[in-house]
Amino acid sequence: MTSRSNSPRSASLLFLALALSLLFAPGVSAQSAPGTHANIQLVSEEKSVRPSAPFWVGILFQLDPGWHIYWQNPGDSGEPPKIEWQLPPGFRAGAIRWPCPIRLGTASVRDYGYEGQVLLMTSIEPPPNFTPTSPVSIAANVKYVVCREICIPGKSDVTLSLPPNYLPFVEASPSQGLFRITIALLPKPLPSAWKASAKSVGDHFILSLKGPGSADQIMFFPLDRSVIENAAPQNVESDHGVVRLTLKKSEQLVKPVSALRGVISLDQYRVFEIAVPVKSL
Amino acid sequence: MNRKVILWIAANAFAVALALSTAWAARVGDRAPDFTATDSTGKVHKLSEYAGKYVVLEWHNRGCPYTAKHYDSGNMQRLQHEWTARGVIWLTVISSAPGRQGYITAADENTFLKQSNAVPTAVLLDPTGALGHLYDAKTTPQMFIIDPHGTLIYNGAIDDRATTDVADINGAKDYVSLALGEALAGKPVGTSSTRPYGCSVKYPD
Repeated sequence: MTSRSNSPRSASLLFLALALSLLFAPGVSAQSAPGTHANIQLVSEEKSVRPSAPFWVGILFQLDPGWHIYWQNPGDSGEPPKIEWQLPPGFRAGAIRWPCPIRLGTASVRDYGYEGQVLLMTSIEPPPNFTPTSPVSIAANVKYVVCREICIPGKSDVTLSLPPNYLPFVEASPSQGLFRITIALLPKPLPSAWKASAKSVGDHFILSLKGPGSADQIMFFPLDRSVIENAAPQNVESDHGVVRLTLKKSEQLVKPVSALRGVISLDQYRVFEIAVPVKSL
Repeated sequence: MNRKVILWIAANAFAVALALSTAWAARVGDRAPDFTATDSTGKVHKLSEYAGKYVVLEWHNRGCPYTAKHYDSGNMQRLQHEWTARGVIWLTVISSAPGRQGYITAADENTFLKQSNAVPTAVLLDPTGALGHLYDAKTTPQMFIIDPHGTLIYNGAIDDRATTDVADINGAKDYVSLALGEALAGKPVGTSSTRPYGCSVKYPD
């Protein structure tokens, strides 16, 4: 009836085990209030800061069963979490790396987001020639809405203090495994041997993909809002090695779009970023 | 018909069929779908009876934090008051199914209106979701504006700050007032279609 999960089961269990082990780990901040349905932590892949080396940090959301937060394009309803970093002078935070979402909601109102747990990572870059001599403080203000049948807005301030690393190698934190799994499952660029194309036909887009073998679970998650009708089924056809997805245009789409941007998911492990110019028929 | 044309048609038949398929429920520029609905006082309303007037449809769920943002702050009440005073018909619509958030009896809704000083022209109770589906309402709030000729001139968000924070109302782009102001002045609506923000409309599953 409702959402079709495409999160890898074995990876999920490992993720959960690693995440639980973080509850008592040093170098991790836990923030949660009773009844909020989301436990939020700021975690770092390394437990210390090296000279002039970028490092991964992330906001780990652990959600009560059935509750979800939203992807960068939330779909028909809801809003994605907003993360505002507070960093020491000269430090920069990169963009959030969004894992592939799952479909949520119903045939009337279709959303994109995450259940269970999700790590929203970003790279932190120290200033050039940075030499850590004292602990580095990273903080974030996280605003989000967590929903199941109803939506509850939440806000969390999380901080992390990372001591200097004087050793000639990376010191992994207990959450390194979490980061590794998340990175492995992030959307990748389309293999160069594959070809994607798109055309606009009346009130639909047709997205074609040449290259993958089987693709009966193929799904397109649009990056831009109000381009496709999220609640419409994505009809899939296969023909001589070309997979075609029919995507109904959004009611809110009033101008032609030059490209279809988003994520194509073939299965839980094959997830690709695409940006395909749209040809008009 | 030569072979090339036949092949073209065969190759594109699916695409051609798509091009001819029906479009959307409530797209800006199209005729707004006529409806019949009952309000919280038992009175029946038809959109067609409001020909010659501007009509605002406001999808509502008092429990949704995005809706609460606009009611707790008095923003929605201000919009209702300002525009009904200028002859606009303001219809609040509740499409929550029984047992789902936002579902409310007529009596309780009338109490809510008094307590919150809300002044819509009427509140249409749509527990079957028929009116919601007719307009393809996705969120609460979601705003539709229909002009005196029955054309949909706005469909989308109440403003441009998609948050649950009351503090974000001040300084936000008030799409409803902008559209009504432009239309009443005989100008084209600048922003007529936006992605609405809010909680999902709680249709029957």
